[in-house]
Amino acid sequence: MLEPLLGSTNAERVLVFILTRNEGYVREIARVLGGDPDSIQKQLAKFESGGVLVSRTAGKTRLYSFNPRYPFLKELKSLLEKALSFYPEQEREALLMNRRRPRRRGKPL
Amino acid sequence: MKPIRDMSTGELASFICCRLKKNGIDVVLSGGSCVSIYSNNKYVSSDLDFVDNQYFIRGEKVRNALSEIGFYEENRYFKNSESDLLIEFPPGPLSVGEETVKEVILLKYATGELRIISPTDCVKDRLASYYHFDDRQCLEQAVLVARDNKVDLAEVERWSRHEGKPERLAEFRTLSEKRKT
Repeated sequence: MLEPLLGSTNAERVLVFILTRNEGYVREIARVLGGDPDSIQKQLAKFESGGVLVSRTAGKTRLYSFNPRYPFLKELKSLLEKALSFYPEQEREALLMNRRRPRRRGKPL
Repeated sequence: MKPIRDMSTGELASFICCRLKKNGIDVVLSGGSCVSIYSNNKYVSSDLDFVDNQYFIRGEKVRNALSEIGFYEENRYFKNSESDLLIEFPPGPLSVGEETVKEVILLKYATGELRIISPTDCVKDRLASYYHFDDRQCLEQAVLVARDNKVDLAEVERWSRHEGKPERLAEFRTLSEKRKT
């Protein structure tokens, strides 16, 4: 959808992922989107070096999120939200309906 | 001309700014090194962040201009064997939060002229990191700059409201009062 603007499908999907989950790491994004981790990593690095995303580490994991200081963040999010509204329902749900509440360690499912 | 190893932060920044200007590259100093300059080195930054004020300047042009004064590129940073300061070119536009920087100050050094964001924008720039990343060091830096320079506090307040963080400005004010005593 935004591929002509962002240059690749992966670029769009990575940003939509961050939009829906607020943050994410390479393996998680690759698993959910079904992409190649190296390509996802390249996209994340590109957006980080362009100031669109920022990253922080939690243990050994590098987590990416939107850079709240990016001057076009509000407009970018609007564009991504619009793109997301056109996604097939199944894909939209896969992105939006993930468990976010805490789960105690050792608790049987 | 002083050797690079003896230059202060402001002198080195102006030297680089001038060299880039000679090569048709218009940059403005932003970020933590502005705090060093405006606080007379009470805070010492380890890098010089130059924002390209024209957009779309090719990296090769910057590399060539800086190599003339002994800087080489390593992992997106430029280094010089005579200085510990790293030179970086963060992506533009020149902005503080959602707004563009409207005023650029010209500081004169023996090494050249430096284009730098104003003390008011420097305070906003530091507060942006405090507001959005909870970085307390940046709050302290904003207080330092506001204490030693003429800063338009009404403008900082207007901007803080626009950033959606008026309540956090109160913390800046309280700390500024505390640091006065």
